[in-house]
Amino acid sequence: MMIQIENLYRTFHHGGNEVPVLKDINLNIKKGECVVLTGVSGSGKTTLLSLIAGLDKPSSGKVLIEGEPISKLPDLFASELRAKKIGMIFQHFNLFEHLTVNENVTVPLIPSGLKMKEIQTKVDAALNLANIRHKKETQAGRLSGGEKQRTAIARALVADPNIILCDEPTANLDRDNSLLFIEIVKELHSLGKTIVIATHDPLFDNLDFNSTIIPMLDGKIVEEFNDE
Amino acid sequence: MNSNAFWHFLTLQLIKERSKHLSVIFISMMILFLLSSVLFISSSIRFSLEETLKVQPDFVVSRIQGGTAVPTPVKWSDELLDIYGVSQVTPRVYGRYFFEPKRKSFLLVGVDFMEEQSHQKLQTLIDKTDIKAFFEGKQMLVGQGVKDYLETHFYKDAYNFLTPEGKFEKVTIFNTLPSQTNLISNEMIVLPIDLARKILGYTEDEVSDIIFNVPNTDEWDMMTDKLSALHYDIHVVNKKEVEKSYANLYNYKGGVFLILFLILLFTFALILYQRYSMVYSTERRHIGLLRALGWSINAVLRFKFTETIVVVSVSYILGVLFAYLYVFVLGAPLLSQIFLGGDNLTNDVHFVPVLDFSVLSSIFLIYALPFIASVLIPVWKVSVTDPKEAML
Repeated sequence: MMIQIENLYRTFHHGGNEVPVLKDINLNIKKGECVVLTGVSGSGKTTLLSLIAGLDKPSSGKVLIEGEPISKLPDLFASELRAKKIGMIFQHFNLFEHLTVNENVTVPLIPSGLKMKEIQTKVDAALNLANIRHKKETQAGRLSGGEKQRTAIARALVADPNIILCDEPTANLDRDNSLLFIEIVKELHSLGKTIVIATHDPLFDNLDFNSTIIPMLDGKIVEEFNDE
Repeated sequence: MNSNAFWHFLTLQLIKERSKHLSVIFISMMILFLLSSVLFISSSIRFSLEETLKVQPDFVVSRIQGGTAVPTPVKWSDELLDIYGVSQVTPRVYGRYFFEPKRKSFLLVGVDFMEEQSHQKLQTLIDKTDIKAFFEGKQMLVGQGVKDYLETHFYKDAYNFLTPEGKFEKVTIFNTLPSQTNLISNEMIVLPIDLARKILGYTEDEVSDIIFNVPNTDEWDMMTDKLSALHYDIHVVNKKEVEKSYANLYNYKGGVFLILFLILLFTFALILYQRYSMVYSTERRHIGLLRALGWSINAVLRFKFTETIVVVSVSYILGVLFAYLYVFVLGAPLLSQIFLGGDNLTNDVHFVPVLDFSVLSSIFLIYALPFIASVLIPVWKVSVTDPKEAML
């Protein structure tokens, strides 16, 4: 299994009250699978994605990435796991606005110990894959929404991770760019990447490639539907 | 992580966020400049005074009657010479001469050509001057401040001193004392002892004070007692007391500046805290993002630490370098007046370059540690929180 989630709970504490956001999530995602987590805002899909990425810690239960419990690893190992195996695409792109496209894509590889020449080769490959190489010297702050998204995709791909996590990837895109994003996801899927997308965009309801839609409601998986 | 990619990214961040860094560098540099300037000046003055003290006599005796300094009888010299352990007894004639129109004063110092010790001291003060020629007529050697002042009042070659009897005594300017000695010689006029007596109103049997040395320092306290028993109106000052008064003067001024610096450093720390303490959500978001992209806490801290060290080092080097140029090349305009006072003659002081590395390293630590802490503590606090929370 690429991703295993066992008895996962996440509760937030707010003003003395406990607010359960995820309740008893159990999920297995195979290598090369594309999973779409759907549901209304507040259903817990983004929190689940954060827990898979190790950006947040569960209240109980565990998340295993290729058998390694990311949430229980010391920071150094969890960060390394994240850097090597997980590529993350955020709703608001989360780019360094003062850096160029090329520089933004470079960032995840800086702590890797690779030489700049080797990094640049990987960056160029990622820029090609995300179809944004022509903008490599443009400052991120000057890009359109679609271009920002493609830069974020390139950055997520630069370390050649097995898992791509996308949090509301089309929320800030127009329809054309959203369709373009889906095409890129399709290509990544064909390359054997494991993809998890958290979205409420109906465009993901009928993807023309193998995918699993998992609806969520009130912090629980409602049902499991595989369109195979 | 210390690969060339790390340094490449560090350089990139420093250049791209230069406006943020430059403002901090500028503020830090100004504080370091001020701090270093004052320390350079005080080190230099202290060094010059210590050097001056080295050639000062061990003891100075003078006469005080009714609480007022009066001329000292020259015959006391013979009595002093009779005391075992006393050497190099020299009577001195000196005093303040007031230039009435502008209420300024000069320090007149009489030198006895027949007395070898003062002759030699004078020679070391003005190496290239023909001393014999100087003593041949009514001539004087003047400090740079005196020369400039007299020139502005149209006394280019000579000056008419007014004696206590109301007669004029015309004395020509023989030469100028070297500007390197301005700290002590700026207001000074050196002239033959008889001429000084005439101008200051001393008779042949009177002097201002008498100096002498006692090579055995263990005897100094005893010597003070012996001298006090010699005459009821004798006033004795030894070199240690002079050293103490100098130290008190500069410790006092140093204390005032220390308080100023503490206020400055406190303000500086507040500015830094405001600047870097994640009040800026973008900074916080950037750290969260780096963590989300796979940077470990260590990697983030190492990066921020190196970035801060660069900013600290640049500010420090620039601040100290500018202070060095300001003090030792330009003569520290404005600040030198605070230290030396500017109420009498304008003093064009040349500070002797003195670099005290313990002081320089102390400045670095006083400045660098709060700076680095004010950056790294908030960075660490953000780094250890969940990246998701930091990115909000």
